[in-house]
Amino acid sequence: MGRFTADFKKEGNNIINSNNKLVKILKKKRHLFTSLAFLTPALLFTAIFFYIPLIEAFRMSFYDWALLGESEFIGFTNFINLFNDPEFWQSLWNTVIYTAIVTPMIFIPAIFLAVLINRQFRGIVIFRAIYFLPVTLSFVVASYVWTWIFSDSYGILNYLLQMADIISSPIAWLHSTWSARFAVSLMIAWKTIGLTMLILLAGLQGVPNIVYEAAAIDGASFWQKHRYITAPLMRPTFALALILSVAGSFKAFDQFVVMTGGGPGRSTQTIVMYLEKVGFRRFDLGYAGAISVLFLFLLLILSSLQLRIGRFTE
Amino acid sequence: MKNKNTKGKRILFYLTNIVLAIIFLAPFYWTFINSLKPRSEVLKYPPTLFPENLTFNTYQRLFNAGGGVFSKYALNSTIVTIMSVVFVCIISTLAGYALSKLKFKGINLIFIALLAIMMVPFQALLVPLYNVISSFGLLDTRIALSLIFTTYYMPFGIFMMKNSFTAIPESLRESAILEGASELTVLIKIFLPVVWPGLLTTIIYVAMQAWNDFIISLIFTSSSSARTIQVGLMNFASQRFYQDWGMINAGSIINMIPILILFILLQQYFIKGMLAGAVN
Repeated sequence: MGRFTADFKKEGNNIINSNNKLVKILKKKRHLFTSLAFLTPALLFTAIFFYIPLIEAFRMSFYDWALLGESEFIGFTNFINLFNDPEFWQSLWNTVIYTAIVTPMIFIPAIFLAVLINRQFRGIVIFRAIYFLPVTLSFVVASYVWTWIFSDSYGILNYLLQMADIISSPIAWLHSTWSARFAVSLMIAWKTIGLTMLILLAGLQGVPNIVYEAAAIDGASFWQKHRYITAPLMRPTFALALILSVAGSFKAFDQFVVMTGGGPGRSTQTIVMYLEKVGFRRFDLGYAGAISVLFLFLLLILSSLQLRIGRFTE
Repeated sequence: MKNKNTKGKRILFYLTNIVLAIIFLAPFYWTFINSLKPRSEVLKYPPTLFPENLTFNTYQRLFNAGGGVFSKYALNSTIVTIMSVVFVCIISTLAGYALSKLKFKGINLIFIALLAIMMVPFQALLVPLYNVISSFGLLDTRIALSLIFTTYYMPFGIFMMKNSFTAIPESLRESAILEGASELTVLIKIFLPVVWPGLLTTIIYVAMQAWNDFIISLIFTSSSSARTIQVGLMNFASQRFYQDWGMINAGSIINMIPILILFILLQQYFIKGMLAGAVN
């Protein structure tokens, strides 16, 4: 008898257990089903407009792929041609030079501004908003605003510089290589300082006040405080802002299209401009694919650095 | 620290800020003032810092040119921006909810797969993307532009919404589910009223990106039927009205107004969005 009841109990438990399991499985299934339904639109968009083009870019780069007619597998030929293509190297070089000029032009004022407005004064919000205002503009608008300022015959800048006796005759800013690079960089600095300032400011405000108070008690001077407290604590934020800014400069397109058209000659043509030229005006899709792949890896290096810093700060 | 803020220091602080603010605002002033000068005064040298005559004539010319094609550009931009914002909001709310509340095996993989877009510069994918859009027969349409913007700015929304949903306690959802509500009802009736700051940040971020885009519109449109205001402005400046600087300045002012208004009205969300967009 005892054995029978025990068996019976066991059986009953089994039924209950399996029933629970079934409910759990059903619940899980429903869970999975709804979440997949919720995720489907995002996955569809990503697959069609991101992953397919991504795979295609790689595939194209191995083909002699014309807009019309047959495409032919040619292995690494596109990449080999690319390495021997002076226009590619020139575009890459132009982009690197531009980045080297514009980065300090953004960061030096941005650091100054971030430190300047990192305190509580009446009206600080208004100044912060004003420094941020150009960030809201498109590159096209900002470029036209400054093309007009830099205009050689009617430009206000030449006029002001002449009035101040800094120059004796108008400078054709956008018509020679180095002054064009400088002019575009100045425009970009004006347009993006506000954003860099804001990122740095967020970092500064993350430094607890108590650290500064302790330093003040120990009699640290203004420079000592910034040298030994602010600078080390700000390093990750600074690196992050720097990588973002450099990545942005590497993608430069709009500003040069509007302000210089890549000129004079090809001296301000950037990588993305060259990519657009090869893909959409020469219709050499395979070659454009090769440029794309190289460009992609270049920026992937930058964003993986960014991820590592991000993890580091957490 | 506080007793160090002496009067002299305060004056120096304000003076520095005022000088800097003038420098930052000067290009806005110069553009605006030149859009109000009569045609003859715009090209006067030496330039007039304060206009002798003010007129809205340039704006009239801008909107009447080519049978009102500039309004068409502005309309295209508006429609494309609204469509992109709506798509991103719906898709990223659904996805963000699923990613934060409906856990199952492999969900992290999906999250990474969705956010991988942020790692890749879309400029590198323009050529194959062109083929995809072309195979759908969508070249030179507004819908194509908004599909592209949706895809490439959606990760920002998903990230934003996932974080917003994660901040809400699990018990809220469970009690609603126990009372027999479906997941969709829970999402719309209980969660959306709580996560709207995240949603608003997403709306502003996507609106700014879509409105300000240049390269996508340049490549994927070929006529005024879909061309946006950014490419339209360049079209005016480099072809239709070459060197007509009054016109270009007026076009720039019209172009910048919508986003400037968004910024002035919703500064806090705007800045939050720009920071999140930059840092993630």
